[in-house]
Amino acid sequence: MAWLIIWPIINAVGRTIWRPDAEGNYGFNLSSYVFFFSDQYSIDNLAVTLWTTLMCAILLLVICLPIALYLRFSQGRLPAYVQALAIFPMFVPSIILAYAFIRVLGPNGMVDILLNAVGLPKIRTPYLTPWGPVIGLVWDNIPLTVLILLSGLGSVANQAVEAARDVGANRLQVFWHIILPRISNSVLVAISFSVLGIFSSFTLPYLLGPASPEMMGPFMNRTFREVNDPLNAITQAVITFGFCIAFGLFYVRSVARNQGK
Amino acid sequence: MAPASIVPSRPPLDWTGIVFAILLSAAIVLPLIVVGTWAFTEVWRYPNVVPQQFGLRFWNQTLTRPDVWAALTLSLQLSTVVTLLSAAICLPAAYAFARMSFPGRTVLFFSFLAGHAFPKFGLLIAIAAIFLQLNLIGTFWGVVLIQLVGTLLFMIWIPVAAFQAVDRRMEEAARDVGAGPFRVFWSITLPQAGPTIAAALLLSFVGTFYETEGAWLIGAPGIRTMPVLMISFINNQMVIQYGAVLSVMLWVPSFIALMFARRVIGGGAFARGFGG
Repeated sequence: MAWLIIWPIINAVGRTIWRPDAEGNYGFNLSSYVFFFSDQYSIDNLAVTLWTTLMCAILLLVICLPIALYLRFSQGRLPAYVQALAIFPMFVPSIILAYAFIRVLGPNGMVDILLNAVGLPKIRTPYLTPWGPVIGLVWDNIPLTVLILLSGLGSVANQAVEAARDVGANRLQVFWHIILPRISNSVLVAISFSVLGIFSSFTLPYLLGPASPEMMGPFMNRTFREVNDPLNAITQAVITFGFCIAFGLFYVRSVARNQGK
Repeated sequence: MAPASIVPSRPPLDWTGIVFAILLSAAIVLPLIVVGTWAFTEVWRYPNVVPQQFGLRFWNQTLTRPDVWAALTLSLQLSTVVTLLSAAICLPAAYAFARMSFPGRTVLFFSFLAGHAFPKFGLLIAIAAIFLQLNLIGTFWGVVLIQLVGTLLFMIWIPVAAFQAVDRRMEEAARDVGAGPFRVFWSITLPQAGPTIAAALLLSFVGTFYETEGAWLIGAPGIRTMPVLMISFINNQMVIQYGAVLSVMLWVPSFIALMFARRVIGGGAFARGFGG
């Protein structure tokens, strides 16, 4: 089964660096990479992908860390409701989310209707701008981020928090000195996972994002299918692997460590 | 006794929880309510807050479209084949990973999980390039193979966790009273691991049903699955309601099915599988 994952990657790297030149002689050849990094359109697409990934990672942390902290230290029906809502997007396929998003935030969507009803002007819709995919991808990635952070927070002992409180630490100090050092690994795993998912995501950027510049997912798809240029599509794929390799290695290391537990 | 002591002291209001509950309700539930409303709407013109006319006309129209039926049948066939294949490959492997130690076990285990250590669409492009040479682009089996990649992770590590959670002492007790290996597996191991494995199968089936990226990259336009059809409904937007009806019709049954798998997802093992 491994050939379905490992072999295509080795094959992709091999095919982009060892290939025939104009005379048909096989040899070491980096021209497709040179083309990518000298083509302004490709660079713009890479830049918008990096920007989207960074924005999503920041937003996910800002949204999910407080939710996870709240869920870890509360009990009862309200936290159970909050947790159910936070995990809910996992059960909504991105294609349905894309449709829902257009109907809510798109032109004359539900938000515009509600703003109009209370006498406020329309919003400038994020639909078909770089913010469109950001909102969709954050929505989509909330459940896993919350679950991973919550799993990490499980290893923070109540006694440690209570001991710190007893000696007069306030909430921020408890978070900074007691909780954060213990969950830093989970935070990095959550970020790695989101980055790997978002960097080459396709459906939401394709349906919600601008046509130009486009994110790497739609860009690769268009190069492969519409432009019918597999070599440049694979080159783009290898470049996305290169940008994500640190996150991938970190993910594998964390899974390996958890297997040992 | 003084009346004051009878009155139970009220816990302070959980303001943080209330704020989270309101914000999340608005952000998570509102979009889905809007889709549900559109599905049962015949006329809804801006800027009316509620539709002018409700009705089922568009359900009728959507359900009589031949392309919808073709896509639905194809998607169900694909999901069934992919789930069965994935189970045939992954369940024995999961049992081996959970129970046996053999040379190369760790390397093999990680090669199954490696699919999530790479940006997914990049991986799909790398696979598609090989499928192009094998003439698998635009074929049913090409889509089956590419969708199989997405199921590997769930179908390996959820069953591994299930097999590891089975009480080994019960198996040993059964063996002590003379049960053979198959009998032990059938009567002791499977009933205990079964519900979790069923949840993994369900996740795999529903996940494949909604899989969009591989189906679009490898299959379209020849192989038109339900999500691929939905993309064309969204992009061309002839009638808004078609997309809404499809969303409600396809999502509600899957959502109910997935609720049965919720226990697996809510548990700590799920997040730990991601390295959390």
